[in-house]
Amino acid sequence: MLPRWVTSAYLAYLAAPIALLLVGSFGELWLNTLLPSGITGKWYVEVAADGSFRRAFISSLIVASVTCGACLALGLPLAYALLRSSNPRIRALARVLYQLPVALPALVLAFGFILVFSSDTLPWLGSIWLLVAGHIVLTLPYFLQAVTADMQRLNLLTLEAAAESLGATTPQRFFHIIVPALKHSIMSGLIVVAALSIGEFQFSNLVAGFLNRTYPVVLLQAFYGATGFACAATVILLLLALTASAAGTLSAHGTARLALPPP
Amino acid sequence: MTAAVELSGVSYRYPGTAAGVQNIELTIAAGELVVCIGPSGCGKTTLLRLIAGFLRPDAGRVLLNGNDVTHADVRKRECGVVFQSYTLFPQMRAWENVAYPLRVRNVELGQRRKRALQMLGVVGLADLSERLPSSLSGGQQQRVALARALIFEPRALLLDEPLSALDAATRLSMREEIRRVQKAQDIAALLITHDQDEALSLADRIFVLREGRLVQNGTPHAIYDRPADSFVAQFVGQANLLDGVTTGPDSVETPIGRIAMRPHGYERGAAIRLLVRPERVEPLWATTAASDVDTNIFLVRVLRDAFFGATRQVELAIGDGILKLQTPMRGAIERVRIPPEAVQLLPTS
Repeated sequence: MLPRWVTSAYLAYLAAPIALLLVGSFGELWLNTLLPSGITGKWYVEVAADGSFRRAFISSLIVASVTCGACLALGLPLAYALLRSSNPRIRALARVLYQLPVALPALVLAFGFILVFSSDTLPWLGSIWLLVAGHIVLTLPYFLQAVTADMQRLNLLTLEAAAESLGATTPQRFFHIIVPALKHSIMSGLIVVAALSIGEFQFSNLVAGFLNRTYPVVLLQAFYGATGFACAATVILLLLALTASAAGTLSAHGTARLALPPP
Repeated sequence: MTAAVELSGVSYRYPGTAAGVQNIELTIAAGELVVCIGPSGCGKTTLLRLIAGFLRPDAGRVLLNGNDVTHADVRKRECGVVFQSYTLFPQMRAWENVAYPLRVRNVELGQRRKRALQMLGVVGLADLSERLPSSLSGGQQQRVALARALIFEPRALLLDEPLSALDAATRLSMREEIRRVQKAQDIAALLITHDQDEALSLADRIFVLREGRLVQNGTPHAIYDRPADSFVAQFVGQANLLDGVTTGPDSVETPIGRIAMRPHGYERGAAIRLLVRPERVEPLWATTAASDVDTNIFLVRVLRDAFFGATRQVELAIGDGILKLQTPMRGAIERVRIPPEAVQLLPTS
């Protein structure tokens, strides 16, 4: 077993950048010293007042929520279809799809988008929907992985067969049996999708139009300015991601409570 | 009267394999409990899936209450299926599970709750109606599944090894429960199992399958007392099989020695196979006087003596052969007697 200090050291290593960001965001002046001098909240006020940051914050929220919705709408029926399919070719195709994010870096996807959508026939480069489309391609495999793993674990095919013999139609089985049984994995899949979408930089940086840049893209600009401002802007991104996962955890907790026997 | 379930000439082969069922003829009357038994891979679950509609036969017809449903959907067949793995919907309470068939049939909430509670009463779970499946025991879950499969008044009840996931004690009480509920609802039922005790104790009729074909179809007594061949004899109950040659109108030469019996229909010198159930072999004690018994007495050497509480199973060497004996008696066995009426003829194969 690992000695305890190794664990502690590792945790400290993980937490240090976040702690420094927090310290920096509240520090008045931070030049060539170990820690900043003076305490202030002005950097947060400045970030909040900055028009481009506000717009980027809203863009990120829109892109992340539309991406989540699209993953749910596309991914769930797709995973369901994959589960029911016994065709080996379709299963092979599904495996390729799962590996896509590894095989296809966001950078390559972005160049592809730029080539195709800067043409005269498809002049959509810079629109927020193109940004969303790219985020869906990048995040859908993670959603599918989360959901299909749970489908196999829960033995959903047998539950389905039971429901079918009891008279349930395909839509009834989908909404009465499949969706409720999968709510935990759907939730955790959506958290991953939201976190990936909110933090995504490579693709968004190349494809986003000037008016709908996402938060990480604008954040890069902050590091050319004051340290405190950059730290505060980064902490806000961190909070955004944390809120998404906290919301997910809370809802999972709520549904877990339901599973306990009544008193 | 038309049979509740009728298969005529049904064949099915899993694509790309030799597994499946061939030319199955089976009828189940309303209120009858037929148990289909066979070793794993014999096609018994395939048979159930063909009736429920999860599989479509390559040939033959499936009829329910006289209606041809060979090409009908699973939903249209309205068979109540109970699976080995319980398959309760995990997010629904016990009564909601039982009421589910009514929900998809658009029965109004109050009505379906009332009928579900009634059905849970039938299977003895009225006070657990608010539980989720995760807080029910295996036996309780299977009772809920049974109630759920019966509530919509299905045309047949199909049970796919419903007891094999339960522990031994629960299995016995569930056996009684299934039979009681099935008789109370007066429904045609097919139960799949590989457990001979289950088949013998539950069935009105037993259907023995081997490698996708029907081997024997009869009452539990008929299957046990008059097995069609040595496969059935060995699969249902314990069996001593002795291959021998007839040596006259009332004797057969076997590896354990000459046995007195009448080999009806066989000529002198014909090869025949004899069946003797181990519990029909009588142990003789040192105190038994020789004059009390007459024929078919054999001197034995005990090879193995296993104690099971209520019974004792002994393996005996006699001559060049081996004989299994089952007895409740204790004490040293020196000789055994095989009563002529305990010896049956089986076809050689």
